[in-house]
Amino acid sequence: MPGDEPFKQEVLRLAGPEVLTCIQCGTCSASCPTANLMNPSIRRLIKLCLEGKKEEALHNETLWLCTSCLLCTVRCPRGIRPKAVVSALKDIAERTGLQGKDAAYEKFFLEQIKDYGRIAELALTAKFLLVFPQGVVQSMQMGLELLPRGKIGLEIEKIKGRDEVKRIIEELWKE
Amino acid sequence: MPIGVYVCHCGLNIAGVLNMEELKSFAEKLPDVAVARDLQFSCSDVGQEQIQNDIAQLKLDRVVVAACSPRLHEPTFRRAIAKAGLNPYMLEMANIREQCSWVHMEQPAMATEKAKDLIAMAVAKATLLRPLEPESIPVSKNVLVVGGGVAGIAAALDLGDCGLHVFLVERRPTIGGYMALLTDVFPTNDCSICVLGPKMSEVYNHPDITLITYAEVLGVEGSVGNFTVSGVRKARYVDEKLCKGCISECADVCPVEVPSEYDFAIGKRKAIYIPYPQAVPLVACVDPKACIGCARCVEACPAHAVKLDQEPQDFKLNVGAIIVATGWQPFDATRKEEYGFGRYRDVITTLQMERMLNASGPTKGEVVRPSTGKIAERVAFLQCVGSRDSSVGNLYCSRICCMASLKNAQLVKEKYPQTDITIYYIDIRACGEGYEEFYVRAQKLGINFVRSRVSCIEEVEGELFLIFEDTQTGEMKRVKHDLAVLSVGLEPDSKADVLGNLLGLSRRPDGFFEIAHPKMRPVEAHIDGVFIAGCASGPKEIPISIAQGSAAAAKAVKLLHKGVLELEPTSAYVDPEKCIKCKLCVDICPKKAIAVKSPAYVDEAACKGCGSCAAACPVDAINMRFFSDEQIMAQVRAATEVKREFPLIVAFLCNWCSYGAADLAGTARIQYPTNARNIRVMCSARVDPSFILEALSRGADGVLIAGCRIGECHYRDGNYQALQRVNVLKGVLEKIGLDPGRVKIVWCAASEGEIYAKDLRDFIGELKAMGPIGTELKKERAEEKNGETALP
Ligand SMILES: Cc1cc2nc3c(=O)[nH]c(=O)nc-3n(C[C@H](O)[C@H](O)[C@H](O)COP(=O)(O)OP(=O)(O)OC[C@H]3O[C@@H](n4cnc5c(N)ncnc54)[C@H](O)[C@@H]3O)c2cc1C
Ligand code: SF4
Ligand code: SF4
Repeated sequence: MPGDEPFKQEVLRLAGPEVLTCIQCGTCSASCPTANLMNPSIRRLIKLCLEGKKEEALHNETLWLCTSCLLCTVRCPRGIRPKAVVSALKDIAERTGLQGKDAAYEKFFLEQIKDYGRIAELALTAKFLLVFPQGVVQSMQMGLELLPRGKIGLEIEKIKGRDEVKRIIEELWKE
Repeated sequence: MPIGVYVCHCGLNIAGVLNMEELKSFAEKLPDVAVARDLQFSCSDVGQEQIQNDIAQLKLDRVVVAACSPRLHEPTFRRAIAKAGLNPYMLEMANIREQCSWVHMEQPAMATEKAKDLIAMAVAKATLLRPLEPESIPVSKNVLVVGGGVAGIAAALDLGDCGLHVFLVERRPTIGGYMALLTDVFPTNDCSICVLGPKMSEVYNHPDITLITYAEVLGVEGSVGNFTVSGVRKARYVDEKLCKGCISECADVCPVEVPSEYDFAIGKRKAIYIPYPQAVPLVACVDPKACIGCARCVEACPAHAVKLDQEPQDFKLNVGAIIVATGWQPFDATRKEEYGFGRYRDVITTLQMERMLNASGPTKGEVVRPSTGKIAERVAFLQCVGSRDSSVGNLYCSRICCMASLKNAQLVKEKYPQTDITIYYIDIRACGEGYEEFYVRAQKLGINFVRSRVSCIEEVEGELFLIFEDTQTGEMKRVKHDLAVLSVGLEPDSKADVLGNLLGLSRRPDGFFEIAHPKMRPVEAHIDGVFIAGCASGPKEIPISIAQGSAAAAKAVKLLHKGVLELEPTSAYVDPEKCIKCKLCVDICPKKAIAVKSPAYVDEAACKGCGSCAAACPVDAINMRFFSDEQIMAQVRAATEVKREFPLIVAFLCNWCSYGAADLAGTARIQYPTNARNIRVMCSARVDPSFILEALSRGADGVLIAGCRIGECHYRDGNYQALQRVNVLKGVLEKIGLDPGRVKIVWCAASEGEIYAKDLRDFIGELKAMGPIGTELKKERAEEKNGETALP
């Protein structure tokens, strides 16, 4: 099947034409701290873009596992910014209506700030997991470890001056 | 000044298209023309005799031949008129075949009109020709070779054997370069010093080679044929004539021990040392940085050779040519922090591996882990360290390191068959005679290959872990090794610019010295009389370094063997009255032929006549003996005297590429419209903005400048200069209300006749859309007027 050329061009426009010079050496993948969770690897992801394999490049966990540590970008021998490829793909994913995890998380995050002026980890995570249930087991395990150490609270705390905060955020959303 | 004009039929090649009768009678009426004839074949004996007879009988003092391209027969006609007693430079040719009859076969009437202009232009230029005398200068038959690595050694020996005298200047206390430090060498794995050692001794004993080691070149003056080189011989603190090279007596008593640079810090040496047992000259040397001045060596030396009060000595040499063979230096592996070189003791470089494998090296041939001194059991080679890596600024492949690792892996495996060896690579580059076979040999020996670029090395409790993605399986891995060998790349010598600046050499973006042409002139520098061999012009293996050394030697012999040098009288010269000493020309000259003392001065032996200085000089103080300002202006004026068609284009074509392309379009009979009047210049950088303005102000509708393709200028960067000037000029045109599109600059190689024709067709189309010159001014004025009347 021939690749999706407009998709490839869009990635190149956003992440830079040097992506074309990738030699598939794997330095980026091997430098990535979350590489063992990723499939495809960052290196493979770049290949998928160059082959114009839009579906495979957009529908994967890899995009959302990137922590933006930039080690790939520092070490790539071709001066490619693999992290910029990830950002480009997230961008395209959101534009094409694919609900991006980042965007969803941001939205819930801000909603809570707007309403309470604070973040309640438990409520936030719960809301998020309702939309993206894939990580529910992992999150629960982590939560059980964190709870007894007092790292997350069960109740939603409220701050003074919530109206102010609300106004600021609504003002921002207008723009 | 009686001029003879000869219009050639060239059988039917010209006469089949152009109207010869009309051209002849046109030429007859041009000013100063004493005789105009049409000749069947002007280049034949009959044709040449006719011209010679006219010179004798009509006392012609200049000749115009309207025929084929001057690139073909200019030498023929120069010889012909010289035979008749005229100065050979009193000839001008009008190219009415390749650039007229052959390319306008379907428009004979317009082609004849164009030919009239071409003849008028040639006659106008001819009236301004001046006799020029080729000068010959005596040259020195000595050659300086800088750098005594294998390339410099090859050059010196070949030159010496040809009877030229060689001064071989080497910076270190011994010649031999890096090759002398290697163990066995690929692709045949013969012992390096066993094949190099005899050559080093031969240099030392050669009657026509003066070896100057531990020395540095500090100054170069003069030009091709006559360079004066000054330098200094550093103090060795040991008398070369007295030292017997035994080293045991002095070094044994020396109390100071430092890491040896000849073992890449794996081994040690004393403050008084001989680099290695096969050094040439075999003379000790005191390292002033390490020496504590105890003078025990002075007492210990039975030959009384140690002289701690020795002074550096200056030297001065006269040479006709210079060969630069300054080699390379290894990439500094500490720059790749992720590999831990310098922090983890068991991370070493291939050069350290070479020394360990060397039977006379610091470990006597044992491959050990530096941290424990025990034989290494799991060895990793990491390829492309410092090469093909934009993160350290080196995009190039160092070319030899794949082979070096294949070699070292084989040597280790042969010595210790139980060792587990893995080579981590991106691509194995084994492209040379017998190299792929060498790779196969390594595979058959059981060496492992993993296609991966290692991301980083971690050291945990004294063990090394390599972290990488095996790109063939997609697995992320963390693998234990006990010795990691970094296959470091080759970089230009960090002090190369000192010599480079003295000689005026240019450097490529990768930092290595640039050769005059990447294919056709592999060992010549841009500066006449200077040659480059070996790794000084880029990474390469030993056989190629030797071939280049010999090639450079052959070039130097060709240049100097006669003892005299004929100079083309086409150089630039300065009017000292006009020069304002702005020094613009000094930087622009690609041949470094201009010096501004008081005032500027052109070294005519070094000048190659490109004319970029003449175009750049802000006060027109520089002119050319050939292709002078006045001559080119006269051509421009003649081209625009009568406007025979629209659009009328004055085109400047560089002699090397674009004029060649226009000729080729002719030979290939590529047809295009007649609108251009071509003027040949040596380089596109010769085109002075005043030529362009003159053409436009006299009614030309457009001016085309064509140069060699970017990066392929025959001088160096003339086309860049031309481009810059054209861009500035476009701004000026815009200011005065002319369409900047009326000036166009294009690039075509001599093989690109079709491109030249296409560029010209495109330009004609663009000019047609613009209308005749001045249309835009009228429009502007009309708009202004409309604007005024519209106001209340
Ligand atoms: C690990 C390794 C293994 C290799 N193994 C092989 C192999 O098996 N087979 C093979 O074919 N090639 C091999 N090579 C490549 C080989 O080393 C080079 O081809 C060779 O050294 C090139 O010789 P050269 O004369 O151009 O430069 P160099 O060997 O660098 O010699 C240059 C000389 O010029 C001197 N010099 C520098 N600047 C100045 C100055 N300003 N004034 C005076 N003197 C100066 C230097 O001191 C030096 O002596 C290997 C390279 C590496 C890194
Ligand atoms: S490090 Fe750079 S060149 Fe290597 S695979 Fe990743 S993006 Fe491609
Ligand atoms: S020769 Fe091999 S190791 Fe050296 S830079 Fe080229 S590809 Fe890399």
